[in-house]
Amino acid sequence: MLLEVAGLDVRYGRTRAVRGMDLTLDSGEIVTVLGANGAGKTSLLKALQGIVRLAAGRIRFDGADVTGWSAPRRVRGGLTLVPEGRQIFVSLTVHENLQMGAYSRSDPVDAEIEEIYDRFPNLAARRDMSASVLSGGEQQMLAISRALLSKPKLLMLDEPSLGLSPLLVIELFDLIKALNRDGLSILLVEQNTHMALQAAHRGYVLELGAAVISGTPEDLVNEEQKLEAAYLGGG
Amino acid sequence: MDVLLQQVVNGLMLGGVYVMVAVAFTLVIGMLNFLNFTIPALFMVAAVMMWAAMAGGFGADIDAVLDDVLGAPNKWIAGVIIALVVVSLASLVIERFTYRYMKAKYGDATEHALPLVSSLGFLIAFEHLVIGRWGSDPLTIDSPFGNASFHLGAVQFSIPQVISLALSLAIVFGLSLMLRKTRLGRAVRSIAERPDTATLMGVDVGRIVPVVYVIAGLLCAIAGILFTINYTTVDAYIGDKVATVAIAGMVLGGLGNVWGAIVGGLFVGLLEVLSIHFFGASIVKVPIWGMLLLILVMRPTGLFGHTAIGKGKF
Repeated sequence: MLLEVAGLDVRYGRTRAVRGMDLTLDSGEIVTVLGANGAGKTSLLKALQGIVRLAAGRIRFDGADVTGWSAPRRVRGGLTLVPEGRQIFVSLTVHENLQMGAYSRSDPVDAEIEEIYDRFPNLAARRDMSASVLSGGEQQMLAISRALLSKPKLLMLDEPSLGLSPLLVIELFDLIKALNRDGLSILLVEQNTHMALQAAHRGYVLELGAAVISGTPEDLVNEEQKLEAAYLGGG
Repeated sequence: MDVLLQQVVNGLMLGGVYVMVAVAFTLVIGMLNFLNFTIPALFMVAAVMMWAAMAGGFGADIDAVLDDVLGAPNKWIAGVIIALVVVSLASLVIERFTYRYMKAKYGDATEHALPLVSSLGFLIAFEHLVIGRWGSDPLTIDSPFGNASFHLGAVQFSIPQVISLALSLAIVFGLSLMLRKTRLGRAVRSIAERPDTATLMGVDVGRIVPVVYVIAGLLCAIAGILFTINYTTVDAYIGDKVATVAIAGMVLGGLGNVWGAIVGGLFVGLLEVLSIHFFGASIVKVPIWGMLLLILVMRPTGLFGHTAIGKGKF
């Protein structure tokens, strides 16, 4: 088991954003976490990365108990989050953004950066320009490439399709599946249920901070009523 | 004409001191959006340490040791070392009280005025520590390098001043290069723009911030050291006097912009000396602050800045 989460609680003041969440992810899996706005999906990812504190629960990752690890240490340990809204550094060039992705490593990364440029010629063409000149789709590719340069064992994606055109969404999910075929494990938070369930091996549906359904995509689709209820926030 | 040219040269030399203090301000503002009022204090502490080492301010015992080890003409070397060490240590203490503990207690402390207020507290505390020990009167030394100078035409160049200006510009260029080209520089710029995202890249913000505090402190310390050597008179309030002008220079150049701080620092040095020449020393603050107010009204981003107030502009 690559990732094992037990009884995870996240609180903001009196609000319990995540309550008693259990989640597992095997090496090589794509697991998706679905749910309405405010269901606690982003809080879950932030807690896994270590940028919000846990109120309760344990996180085991890659054979170690990482519950007490700082976020930078978890990055060095192979756990990397692509945050919602891409959050690229616009005061840095495209190339510097990629270099920041490799910040946690001390081995040479130039060859890997060149591979990324081969994969995304649009990034290569703008390598020395401010990352602010990139389109939304290009920014998402940069954000994912930047995360890949930390050499993650588990890549966590928070709403990667948000704001992308339908064509770019298809391209994005092709990339996610290709990365997974190359052996990368992925934890995917998505609003685009249809695309997410198509790509994922398993999924969880969150409602008010707790998992109400989990299983294979077929299981989730079969419980469509519950799924819809979760999205409408009715329960 | 020669007199005026001489004043221009003097103004640029003085500007070299302002440049380093302005860059220290701009470094902390650019990264943390925090106008750090301990910077004048650190400048003053370094200037006074320099004076104390040279003028026997640490007491007869320590003075005798310095005489034995270095010899009377070389006591300025002890001043440099003491100033750099004291300011570095003070910077680390200041970082804890103006940033680290605030962040631990209140989250992103830079969103609040808390660091500003605690840094003002440090400024006043340091000034009163110095007054308590050495009083508030002017403290003077004999220049360790005498009147070493050379002439170009009718214009006199003091050799220590020329070296000081060259040194301050070299240090600031080096710093700018560090920000542009190194891993640490990229980390600082990424924290300036998005501290939370920098953390996601594996940047340990809590370890980079003290480094930047120390770098800013050392810039002030070197400026203070050079000030004492070149102008030979300091006092507990010298930091206020120099740093307020440096702030004007920084705003002129644009907040958070290292190149702007260089141009702005040199410009206010020039403006100060020329104002004294034309209008007299008693109203010298009027042209400087008048210029600052004009800039804020007409071009609040300064000459080279992107935004009036905000982060992420190196």
